[in-house]
Amino acid sequence: MRKNQTTLAVAGLAALIAVVPLMAHHAFGAEFDRDAPIRLQGPVVRLEWVNPHAWIHLEITKEDGTNEVWMVEGGTPNTLLRRGLRRDCLTPGTVIIVDGYQTKDHSLARANGRDVTFTDGTKIFLGSSGTGAPYEAEMLAARQEQGRC
Amino acid sequence: MRYTPSILAVFLMVGITGLFSQVTAQVQARAAGQWVMPRTADGHPDLQGNWTNATITLIQRRRDQDAVYSPEEALRLEGGRAARTEALNQPSDPDRKAPPVGGDGSTGAAGGVGGYNYFWIDAGSKVAKFNGELRTSLIVDPPDGRYPSRTDAARQRMSEASQFRRQFGQYDNPENRPLAERCIVSFGSNAGPPMLPNYFYNNNYTIVQTPDHIMIMTEMVHDVRIIRMGTPKPLPKNVRPWFGDSWGHWEGDTLVVETTNFSPVQLNRGQLSGATENLKITERLTRADEYTLNYEFTVDDLETWTDSWSGEVPFTRLPGLVYEYACHEGNYALFNVLRGARAQEQREGSRQIPKR
Amino acid sequence: MLSFVFKLVRTLRRTTCSVVVCMALGAISAYAQTAEIPRTQEGKPDLNGIWQALGNAHWDIEPHAARAALQMQPGPVVPVPAKDLLAFGAVGSVPSGVGVVVGGEIPYLPEARARKIENQENWAERDPEIKCYLPGVPRATYMPFPFQIFQSASHFFIAYEYAGALRNIYMEDPGPAQVDSWMGQSVGHWEGDTFVAEGSGFNDQTWFDRAGNHHSASMTVVERYTMTSPDHILYEAMIEDPQTFSRPWMISMPLYRHVNNDARIGQFKCVEFVEELLYGQLRKNPIGSEEGR
Repeated sequence: MRKNQTTLAVAGLAALIAVVPLMAHHAFGAEFDRDAPIRLQGPVVRLEWVNPHAWIHLEITKEDGTNEVWMVEGGTPNTLLRRGLRRDCLTPGTVIIVDGYQTKDHSLARANGRDVTFTDGTKIFLGSSGTGAPYEAEMLAARQEQGRC
Repeated sequence: MRYTPSILAVFLMVGITGLFSQVTAQVQARAAGQWVMPRTADGHPDLQGNWTNATITLIQRRRDQDAVYSPEEALRLEGGRAARTEALNQPSDPDRKAPPVGGDGSTGAAGGVGGYNYFWIDAGSKVAKFNGELRTSLIVDPPDGRYPSRTDAARQRMSEASQFRRQFGQYDNPENRPLAERCIVSFGSNAGPPMLPNYFYNNNYTIVQTPDHIMIMTEMVHDVRIIRMGTPKPLPKNVRPWFGDSWGHWEGDTLVVETTNFSPVQLNRGQLSGATENLKITERLTRADEYTLNYEFTVDDLETWTDSWSGEVPFTRLPGLVYEYACHEGNYALFNVLRGARAQEQREGSRQIPKR
Repeated sequence: MLSFVFKLVRTLRRTTCSVVVCMALGAISAYAQTAEIPRTQEGKPDLNGIWQALGNAHWDIEPHAARAALQMQPGPVVPVPAKDLLAFGAVGSVPSGVGVVVGGEIPYLPEARARKIENQENWAERDPEIKCYLPGVPRATYMPFPFQIFQSASHFFIAYEYAGALRNIYMEDPGPAQVDSWMGQSVGHWEGDTFVAEGSGFNDQTWFDRAGNHHSASMTVVERYTMTSPDHILYEAMIEDPQTFSRPWMISMPLYRHVNNDARIGQFKCVEFVEELLYGQLRKNPIGSEEGR
């Protein structure tokens, strides 16, 4: 992602979350280690559409050639369900790219899904402004044609 | 009661006639463009269905703010939210590297690790419009739209609670973690009372209404409030469930709910911190139109706040289902947080209680 | 016309009658009795209220003898309660029951039956009830806790006391669930005076009881709620799951109304109660460790 987009994305998220009292939600900083960044790329092997966080399992190939399954933390599936999440979204085998940070317990192959995309860089799901704008409906329709949600 | 056939026939005819005339009246009114209050069979407004209180408007006003936004200001805020969504929907660089060691600079709950993608969030896209006014806060009384001051006694109670908590590091025990992280209740005051948005997601409710009960389900952590209608037969003083004990009655077309007997843990949390067992919250629900419930609340505890405080929150029709939020059953996060704290302590060789 | 029939029935009953005529008369009187059940303004049986199952289906839905505990370990003479359960004594013993499965046994496929036995042998690790997990359907109905039905013209909602479980039984089908859940997705309709709820979209994590009876995520459940008197509901649930069972099978039991005037369901938010169990070892100073006591 280009630098100004990264800044915007980070600033946007931060601006949104900064107004929420900390007690309302666990801080990601409690769970993940800011000194342990990761970048993962590999096929989805399992999806856990659960609350309080969805978990996307993907298989990566390590430097030594062995495979390892990582779990990546997402948000609430309920949001996506209301936007049309279907069982055939993000099917196992789909290759995704994740950048984020590993859990503080480094013995766990788990990370936060700071940014999860397909291999062409598009986000695995799209947010909605809630305005019902026509361009959003077009965007979603275009993605469904490509077999994405 | 045994229905003889003749009585049955009469009831049927009266019923059909009554229904027919009601339907006709509604059809005529709709044809004339008027909204007719939908009513349940016992004549009360029908408050049922799925509603959301998600909004951009915060609970409390800034000190320098007016009570309402101008239409231009509101549009700017809503446009800003929409623009942010669009920006964060743009593709990322597929060749991006891992984020920086030491964190990515994100603040607040994102905790320096960037949280997760914005598409998981659904914090509301609109300014709160209540009776046609574009509100700058959900609190309307005190008139400055801010929480009133707490009494000295309340501050003392809060200070004692704080002292108790300070004995522990924030990751020492599951009991030291926020209630929402432990999946015990919803974020913030979602279930309430008062029922307030959490500014994250799933700010949704299902209301079911019978002649003698109103059931309000909060999507987050599937919290259920059961409001018993009629003359209150309150619980004994020492029985204090989560969300308190609620009794309702109708005043014309407004449902009035009075809640007492709050759980002591609820009195030690968030907006209600420091409150006493005499806390009473009164809520009013009025169906304003096809898509809107007007929700008003008043929080009363003069041993805690120097004045009662009130708010007004529009609940709008949710275009969609409310889904199961099972929480505890899938709570990897709490496990990760506690495990992570122990792993970090081991790495640091620390046996001290970490400073907050 | 009907009142004439009622009078005729009463007269006939006073005279001698054959078995067939008596049965017919019995059926008509029974119909006269069901006419007494409370009805909503829409004319449906009014199931609003607080209900609870009696009996011990929650221990084991199949016929079973009393036994010392839910999980056993080898003993010098006979098996004895597993170590973790000893302190419960008779409080942890399982009462006998004739079961609620119509026909007696659950028709497991062979591997599924083996898994049920494994579940029993590892009850303390595997029963989701221990962890205060949502009970699923139909177990939620016969947990030893009451539940409350909220029935209106447009909604049918059940709030269970146990773990705050709930079900909003949709009166309009929203289409198949796209994500599995603990309490599933149910769609309801009336067949005469019986409320029928068809449930699907269940995950495979719930059990039917404390005896290790289990299912897959393919399970569908069709429940029937029939008021047999103002204070009784006949509850039947048909379970179909070709991955686990060789055919559909049914459970059946009465549900009893809480009739006291101030009846209410309580709050059993048990998540807090199991934190020591689930997270105790992750404390900074676990109980029983050097620093912990």
